[in-house]
Amino acid sequence: MKTPSTNPKSSLRRRILIGSAWVGGGLAVAASIGGTLAWRRVANAQKYMLPVDNAKGESAFNAWLKIAPDSTVTVAVPRQDMGQGIYTMLAMLVAEELDADWSKVKPEQAPVNPIYGNLTMLVDGAPPAMKSMMGVISKVLGVQATGGSTSTRDAWVPMRAAAASARAMLLMVAATKWSVPVGELTIAKSIITHAKSGKSAPFGEFAKEAAMLPVPPVITPKPQSEWKLLGTSPKRTDVPDKSTGKAQFGIDVRLDGMLYAAVKHIDLVQGELQAVRWKKGAAPKNVMHEVRGPDWFAVIGKSYWEMQQALQDVELVAGGANAVMLSSPQLSNLYERILNGEDEGLKPLAKPLRRTFESKGNALRTIAATDLKQRIEASYSVPFLAHATMEPMNCTAQIAGGKVDVWVGNQAPTIVSWLAASAAGVSSDDVKVHTPYLGGGFGRRADMEVVRQALACAKVTGGKPVQVIWSREEDVKHDAYRPAVACKMSAAFDEAGGLGAWYHRIAGPSVTKAYVKRLNPMLAGDDPPDKTNCEGAADAPYRLAIANFQCDHAQVDLPVPMGYWRSVGHSFNAFFVESFVDEIAHALKKDPYLFRLELLKDVPRFAKVLDAAASAAKWNTPLAPIAGGKVGRGIAIAESFKSIVAQVVDVEVIGGKQIKLRRVVSAVDCGFALDPENVKAQIASAAIYGLTAALKGKITLKESQVEQSNFNDYGLLSLAEAPEFGTVIVNSGEALGGIGEVGLPPVIPALANAIFSASGKRLREMPFVLV
Amino acid sequence: MPVSLTLNGAPLSLNVPDEKPLLWAIREDANLTGTKFGCGIAMCGACTVHVNGEATRTCVLPCSAVAGKEVTTIEGITAKGLNAVQQAWIEMQVPQCGYCQSGFIMAVTALLDKNPNPSDAEVESAITNLCRCGTYPAMRKAIKRAVELKKGGAK
Repeated sequence: MKTPSTNPKSSLRRRILIGSAWVGGGLAVAASIGGTLAWRRVANAQKYMLPVDNAKGESAFNAWLKIAPDSTVTVAVPRQDMGQGIYTMLAMLVAEELDADWSKVKPEQAPVNPIYGNLTMLVDGAPPAMKSMMGVISKVLGVQATGGSTSTRDAWVPMRAAAASARAMLLMVAATKWSVPVGELTIAKSIITHAKSGKSAPFGEFAKEAAMLPVPPVITPKPQSEWKLLGTSPKRTDVPDKSTGKAQFGIDVRLDGMLYAAVKHIDLVQGELQAVRWKKGAAPKNVMHEVRGPDWFAVIGKSYWEMQQALQDVELVAGGANAVMLSSPQLSNLYERILNGEDEGLKPLAKPLRRTFESKGNALRTIAATDLKQRIEASYSVPFLAHATMEPMNCTAQIAGGKVDVWVGNQAPTIVSWLAASAAGVSSDDVKVHTPYLGGGFGRRADMEVVRQALACAKVTGGKPVQVIWSREEDVKHDAYRPAVACKMSAAFDEAGGLGAWYHRIAGPSVTKAYVKRLNPMLAGDDPPDKTNCEGAADAPYRLAIANFQCDHAQVDLPVPMGYWRSVGHSFNAFFVESFVDEIAHALKKDPYLFRLELLKDVPRFAKVLDAAASAAKWNTPLAPIAGGKVGRGIAIAESFKSIVAQVVDVEVIGGKQIKLRRVVSAVDCGFALDPENVKAQIASAAIYGLTAALKGKITLKESQVEQSNFNDYGLLSLAEAPEFGTVIVNSGEALGGIGEVGLPPVIPALANAIFSASGKRLREMPFVLV
Repeated sequence: MPVSLTLNGAPLSLNVPDEKPLLWAIREDANLTGTKFGCGIAMCGACTVHVNGEATRTCVLPCSAVAGKEVTTIEGITAKGLNAVQQAWIEMQVPQCGYCQSGFIMAVTALLDKNPNPSDAEVESAITNLCRCGTYPAMRKAIKRAVELKKGGAK
């Protein structure tokens, strides 16, 4: 047995440690990136090293990256790619700090481990008083999840710190081996160079020894002035496979002996499955297994298509104490009464939970005391919406030999692992969650219903893997919907012709409560304030310029499955606030852009973004007229997920009825655009998602059954209908904001305002229809 | 009775019910997963392949309808090297989630094979597939770029 001193690797390690090279020794001891939190996470990450492929000779430096002898850097991306390009973005953070050759940086899905928990998402979503506590809870729970436009913000500190520490470790080994001061070394495109001696070598050559060093206590982050990759737009790593049919989505998982399951839910959105009746007396003979869930039924066989056919022969009897009948017109009526202050006799809804989210001065009294002619009032409403991801819901599960494997495009692998462990009665160490590409997410894949179903099916297949697939009809009829919401707004003008008071009352459910209840009814006991209810309304930037401002919420539980939908509360609150501001501008005979600018005078960051959009759109240049129609231009601005977006929409109204989108110009301040082309792509993506809702989106209930079923009655915007896009980036240098959702909120009111400008008709109900 | 056809240049005999849609025969029996299931009512185009060179939605097309015909999927296109549309798609960074893109690439490829220089209006009336990520702005640029690449000799 070799003694440590004769082991060359060990000797190198000792030389570095004994020489106290970490302290001083040319390695700058300076500000750490983001302070101690980053370092705690990187140090904790040393307890969990990324698994390596020994055949490739890989060395793991921490939970986030490993380097092969050929200098290939594998980046563990702890977030899921649903189209937003997060694999590329987070790999860029690592590549930048490592000065790695971008062509040799390979992102891959990280395993499930608490080190990857999304702290930002939990802290962002918590009510203000709970924020610090949520930070603590989230560290304990370490929930890995993708949502709330948080991925880059959450990775910003730990992933750069992880890469910077690996960089320091690589340099230290090179310096020791070459006997040169570490401060004289540079890295470019994965090659370490000592200019004075002319020595140079790819960093992969030092990876094995470097990975054995302890993490340096402090490292120097790269200043922005030295960034080479961040702020540019390298080609996305996933695009080639997504252009050749090679990219694997959950629905493409193929395993030996895999069976398929087709699922049918009861007709009601909420209720119980009471009986299963085969129209021909029994299941077709190609059905190998039948599985009954609380409100669904599945058949398992060798072909999904055959199982889907088999379900046409089955009738599901629904009912139970859980079944509550609700129709959309009835809900509109109930909302109207709630907004008028009624608390009782609202069956099937219980008494609403009323809260004030923001208040200053006395808005209600001021408005009541103002002459009617100096007041304005309006009611707005939005319907339920489905997510309609292009890839229908699916999940593959296998329970065999005390282990569970789950393959699912999902936005919360930690939760998938909990459900799998609980379903199979194993510890979560015996669960492996495989997350392929998501064929769209938008919040839909945070919902776990299909995972439960796949696990229930996997229990009856004798160890064989089973892939559950929903039809599009099941997806449209059994989504966890963006809730229907309604509001009333009133305002009073002051003597100077400005805005003296603003009162906003919103009625709707808590999405967070509905989500948690759907995940685990045991967890939905109390009713903490849900910030998504009033996000964008209670904190509307105009509140600063209005002496009397109040935003109230009346929360009701709806007997409907609901969940997070791209931009969540902002998806309706921006429509309410920005349409109403426009109404006020017109009532005061002021230009809608200049009126907003007046109200934003104390928040220059907003004003700058608004100016950028107006200027890029040439706000004052008249639109080209159109024969047989009218043209109009509208503007809106909203802050969401710490980014500010202003949008100008140009629209054509043809024959008084047909709404045709001409152009959307956006200005975005997300702090700094780390990948400007992807920022633009995400702004257009979210805007099209919002415009689709504005022009086509509507899920309606009739006796608790969804009336829509597929793209024929829940339509999506097409290539021909999509407007022209232009996006300008305002790099304010403020803290990073999100990007995946922020292009959605203002585009809807900007369109409503444009339609008003063209037609003189104020549309206060989504989707927009001119009659 | 088995259905005989040519799939990506090779003869194939499918032993499936006549009414089984071609999409599911491709995905389950031929085990090619690049062609996607999106709606099942031929509205979204995620299941588009070429049947005798025509862009065809396969989720409601029975296998019996393609007996003796030449079927080409995204895998068949890719096997011959990236075509002009795929090159343009990568250059313009079109895909986001990527799920609908095989269908779009097949539809645009068939369009440009017939009409190598379509007007915007011709593109808009021919390409009716649906994309939920809203990649349409990049797609418009990529279609124009594919036209150029084809003029320059790309297949």
